[in-house]
Amino acid sequence: MKTVIETKGLSKTYTNTAVPVEALKDISLEFKEGEFTAIVGPSGSGKTTFLNVIGGLDKPTKGKVIIDNVDIASMKESQLFDFRLKHIGFVFQAYNLIPVLTATENVSFIMLLQKRPKEEMNKRAKEMLEQVGLSDKLDVRPNKLSGGQQQRVAVARALASRPDFVLADEPTANLDTESAFNLLDIMARLNKEENITLVFSTHDQRVIDRARRVITLVDGAVDKDETFDRD
Amino acid sequence: MLVKISWRNIWRNSARSLVIIIAIVLGVLGGNFSAAIRLGVERQNFKETVEHQVSHIQLHHPEFIANPEAHYRIEDGLKVAGEISQHPGVDVVSPRIVFDGMASSANMNAGVRIKGVDPEAETATTDLGNLVTSGNYFGEPGRLPQVITGKELADELNVEVGSRIVLTFQDMTGEMVSASFRIEGLYEVTSTAFEKRNLFVRSDDLNELIGDQEAVTEIAVVLHDVDTYRKVSGELQDTYPDISVRHWADMQPSLYYSLEFLNRNLIWIVGLIILGVSFGLLNTILMSVLERIRELGILMAIGMKKAKVFGMIVFETTILAIIGGTAGLILSWGMIRYLNHRGVDIAAFGGEGMGDFGYASVIYPELDTAFYFQVAIVIVAFAILAACYPAWKAIRLVPAEAVREE
Repeated sequence: MKTVIETKGLSKTYTNTAVPVEALKDISLEFKEGEFTAIVGPSGSGKTTFLNVIGGLDKPTKGKVIIDNVDIASMKESQLFDFRLKHIGFVFQAYNLIPVLTATENVSFIMLLQKRPKEEMNKRAKEMLEQVGLSDKLDVRPNKLSGGQQQRVAVARALASRPDFVLADEPTANLDTESAFNLLDIMARLNKEENITLVFSTHDQRVIDRARRVITLVDGAVDKDETFDRD
Repeated sequence: MLVKISWRNIWRNSARSLVIIIAIVLGVLGGNFSAAIRLGVERQNFKETVEHQVSHIQLHHPEFIANPEAHYRIEDGLKVAGEISQHPGVDVVSPRIVFDGMASSANMNAGVRIKGVDPEAETATTDLGNLVTSGNYFGEPGRLPQVITGKELADELNVEVGSRIVLTFQDMTGEMVSASFRIEGLYEVTSTAFEKRNLFVRSDDLNELIGDQEAVTEIAVVLHDVDTYRKVSGELQDTYPDISVRHWADMQPSLYYSLEFLNRNLIWIVGLIILGVSFGLLNTILMSVLERIRELGILMAIGMKKAKVFGMIVFETTILAIIGGTAGLILSWGMIRYLNHRGVDIAAFGGEGMGDFGYASVIYPELDTAFYFQVAIVIVAFAILAACYPAWKAIRLVPAEAVREE
C-alpha cells in the first residue's frame, strides 16, 4: 500500500513561552493510503501539534514531513497554502463552516479555490451532501443546521475535492452521542468508498473504538502504535 | 463566490454597516455642501466683479491707472476699440471716457468715478441695463443729460429717480467743469462700495462737456471664452505696445488667487471630512475582522491565500464606501442642484453686511460634474487605505492558532 504521509524524527519545541515546551519528540511514523487512524492521548500530549505539523499549518523544529515525495517542512509559507489546498482536507472541532454560505456553497468552496469548473463543483457538492445525508439541506446556511449536521457538511467539504488525506482535529468533541456515531459512520463509510486516508486527533473513546489504527502520544512521544481489525 | 462572501459579510451585522454607510453619506453630503457654498460664493464674486464691473480685459493710457484723469486718453481710442472688436476671440467692446469727479445734491457731496459710456455697448459688456432696478436705463434724451447712479450713492446723496445732481470734474485743459444731470435710473450690484463710487452717463454728453468728442480713456473687452484671457491680452499688448492692457486677474488678484486656490484645493475640503469618516470605516472593518478570527483562520487553513483574504477585506470595505459614497454623491448632487436654483439666503444669519465686502447675501452653491467624480475617487482611495490595517491584521493571523479561537 502506498505511503501517503511519512514523518522522520519530527520534533517541535515552543520557545515563545516562559519555559521552552517540547510538544513533539522525535516522531517517525508512516500513514498508508486508506488508513483510518486515531491519534490519542491526554490533553497536552501533542495531538493537535502533530496534526498541525503534518497538515502544514505549523513547522517542526526538527525532522521531516514527507507527503507525495516532498518534505513540506522545508516549504515556504506561500507554497504551503497551495499544498494544503491541493492535498489536504481539514475538519476542525466546531464552527468549521463559513456562516454566510449555504451548505452547497461551503462544500464547493475548496473546489472554487482550486478553480474547478462550476458544473463539476455543483455536481460534486450535491453528491457529497447526499452521501452525508443532507440532500434536503443544500441551500441552508450553517446557523440553521444542528452541530452534527454542520460537522457532516465539514466532512463533505473536506472530502469533496478528493484530497490525498483528511485531518480531523477532535471532530466529535462538541457532538452528542447520536450525532457523533452518525458522523463516525459516515466518515468510516467514506473512508472505504473514497479510499481516503483519515487521521483524527481525539480523546473520545467512541472514535477510538472505530479506528483501525490507534497511535497513543504521551508527552509528545509515541507511546503505542496499535492496529485493529474492525471489519 | 468571493464577491458573494464579501457582500454577505457586510450584512452579517446590518445595523453596524448601516451606521457607517450613513456616516459616509453625511460626510459626503456635508463636504460637498461646504465645497459648493465656497465655490458658489467665489463664482458669484467673479460674476459680479468681472462680468458686471471690470470685464475680462481693460485697456488704458499707462498713466491713467495711477492718475485717472481725462487727459490720459487712449490715442485714437474709438479706432482702437473698433480694431479690437474684430479680434476673433473678442465678443464685445465698450469704449468709455472715465475720470474721477464729485457728485452733489442739494445738501450732500460725494467723490465718484464718472463713466461716459455708449449705453448699448455698456449693456452688452457689463449688463448694466439689466442691473437698473428703478427708473429707466438711458431713456429718451430730455432737457438735462441723464445719469445712472448706484442705489447706495442715491441714498447717500438723498436723491431718487428724477432728481437733479451736479457733477463737477476737470475738462481736457484742466479747467473745472460743473453740469447738472437728471437721475434716469438706479442700478444695484452686490458690492455696495461699487454702487457708492460709480455712476454712468452717455459718453456723448460727457465728451461735449470736456471738449473732446472722441476722447476714450478706457476700453472694456468681453471675450467669447473667458479662459483665453491671457492669450488675447498678450496679443493685444503686442499689437498696442503703448497702451496698458490688463486682464481681470491683474486687476483683481485676490479674486484670482482665491479661485485658483479653490480650483486646486476644493477637493481637500471634502477629502478631510472623508478622511475623518474613513477612521470610522476602519474601526467597523477592524471589529468585523476581530469577530471572525476563527473563520479567517479556517479559510487560510484550507488553502485560501493571504492575498485573497486581504483582497476580501479590502473589497468588503470598498463596497461599504461605494454604497455610502454613491448615496452621498446623489443626495448632495440633488441638494446642490435644488439650492443652486433657490439660493441660500444668509441674511438671517448676519449676511446682510456681506455686500460691504463685495459678497452677496444670497448664495447659489454649485459644483462641477467632474468634482463629483473626484470625490468618488477620493472615497474609494480612502476606503482602500482604511481597509489596509484590518486586512493586514487578518493576514497576520496564524491559521493553526486562529482555528482554535473561541
